Amino acid sequence: MTLRRTIVYLLLITLSAAMMTPIFWAFASSLKPLDEVYAFPPSFLVDDPQWSNYGDALTRLPVARFLLNSLLISAASVVGAVLTASMTGYVLARARFRGRSLCFFLVIISMLIPAQVLLVPRFLIYDLLGWVDTYKPLIVPAWLGGGAFNIFLFRQFFRTVPPELEDAARLDGATPWQTYWHILLPAVRPATITAALLSFVYHWQEFLDPLIYLSDFQTYPISLGLRMYQSMAGTWANQLMAVSLVALIPVVIVFILCQRHLMRGLGVVETRS
Amino acid sequence: MLLPWVIGLFLLTLIPLMASLVLSITRVDPQRQGHGVSWIGTEHFHRALTNDTAFYTALSNSLFFTLLAAPLGLGTSLAVALLLHQPVRGAPIFRALVYLPHLLGGVATIVIWSWTFNPQFGWINQAIRLAYAAMDPIVRVFTENGTSDWLLPRWLYSPGGCKPAAIIMSAWTFGASMLIFLAALHRVPNVLHDAAQLDGAGAWQRFRRITLPHITPAILFNLTFGIIFSMQSFNEAYLLQNRQQNDGLLFYVLYLYRTAFEPPYQLGYACALAWIFLAVLLILILPLLLSARKWVYYASEK
Repeated sequence: MTLRRTIVYLLLITLSAAMMTPIFWAFASSLKPLDEVYAFPPSFLVDDPQWSNYGDALTRLPVARFLLNSLLISAASVVGAVLTASMTGYVLARARFRGRSLCFFLVIISMLIPAQVLLVPRFLIYDLLGWVDTYKPLIVPAWLGGGAFNIFLFRQFFRTVPPELEDAARLDGATPWQTYWHILLPAVRPATITAALLSFVYHWQEFLDPLIYLSDFQTYPISLGLRMYQSMAGTWANQLMAVSLVALIPVVIVFILCQRHLMRGLGVVETRS
Repeated sequence: MLLPWVIGLFLLTLIPLMASLVLSITRVDPQRQGHGVSWIGTEHFHRALTNDTAFYTALSNSLFFTLLAAPLGLGTSLAVALLLHQPVRGAPIFRALVYLPHLLGGVATIVIWSWTFNPQFGWINQAIRLAYAAMDPIVRVFTENGTSDWLLPRWLYSPGGCKPAAIIMSAWTFGASMLIFLAALHRVPNVLHDAAQLDGAGAWQRFRRITLPHITPAILFNLTFGIIFSMQSFNEAYLLQNRQQNDGLLFYVLYLYRTAFEPPYQLGYACALAWIFLAVLLILILPLLLSARKWVYYASEK
């Protein structure tokens, strides 16, 4: 048994290290002076860390601006996604009306239709609305249902909330909205935080939509900013790695903060009820 | 309460879907507003299937990538989930570290990977060089030159190396499907395992007869979405394209994007390509979904 445990540990440590290698490598590269980054043979070791690489890299393009743009788009989308997905999920879990299963079926089906299929018509619709070159095509969809996966997630969680809770609230004279806001939403916190985290990361990493809808580089989110960096002449690997790592920091922070709830939301850790 | 979703359903899915169908059988001339639309029937579909080599390149690139990346991702995530399911201390930390790359996947990590794959200065080829050097004495017994004339992959700078590089990059983000497997493994009743063990069933038999049937729903889910996501790959293709690849990373969605959003902006043709894409996806996924009854086990049904 102990031998088996040792093997499991060894495998897990090797695996985690291997998964993190590209990040270590990027970090080492980001701290090297120019002649060391392009030195042969390549090495993970840094003799003399050049922290100034970060300062240089972040000021060559308005990286702070890109990060702020991304933050704005992601935050606005997260609020919409959590709000509308939870509402939809609640209705699909609880409300009794004709066509509920049809609605649920449509949610599942829309998960299977890749957004790319709708790329052109959506562009034309947004163009018609005059939304091209604004953040609206990036944010408004999140406010219109919040994504099929989130709806599904909320529906599953709302189904586990005992109906007595709602009945009690109704007897106490709470309106449906009050019940929803004060009783139900707090009862499905793992789902709320999971949906918020996944929406945030999704919008933070989103590339294709900004690429289609944004043309002024002052409005670029960090994904497009990185692309600009990567294609610029005279970009060296150490600076490029520095900017890439900075772009990942918000994702890591959010993940560390929400990790426990995420595992509960995705059903990896059993929810206490 | 349902209103936002209903608006979204119509505005973002149903109307675009119909518009796309209409556009795919018309020619749109963006230069001539209003009068630029003319009916052409199935001409676009005809052109894609009979007279467009780039279409076939893109389709076969995406299919090749998907048929390798999706099963590889499925196998890796299941194996790692089984490993993380073991009762070990610090499991949450390992789980977090293995899952994290899935969240990190985006432009930044693609940029990092491309530096990692750099044939001369990247650590992957350095690792291969070290492996060659280690094997050299043994190889020298058989051939005079040893490993000195063995080739190093040129990864993103060659037609043959760019797809393996893309597959490795996508394998790195297996964390999401791994978590789904992990959740499924947690739901396998321990009682069954204990009973089987008492009856003398070995570890493999228990996996094959108890664990595997219980996680078939997760396998179906992960395989379906693995295929859909792999077919949708765009970012790595768009960001890492170069001339040396000889269109090796021209994925379908990249071709679709270029058709629509780069001059001469063939919007109608792009819609036809999108419908062909949807048809290909259905061909890949329908057999899975239709055969599910035969091999997917739902505990509540018995």
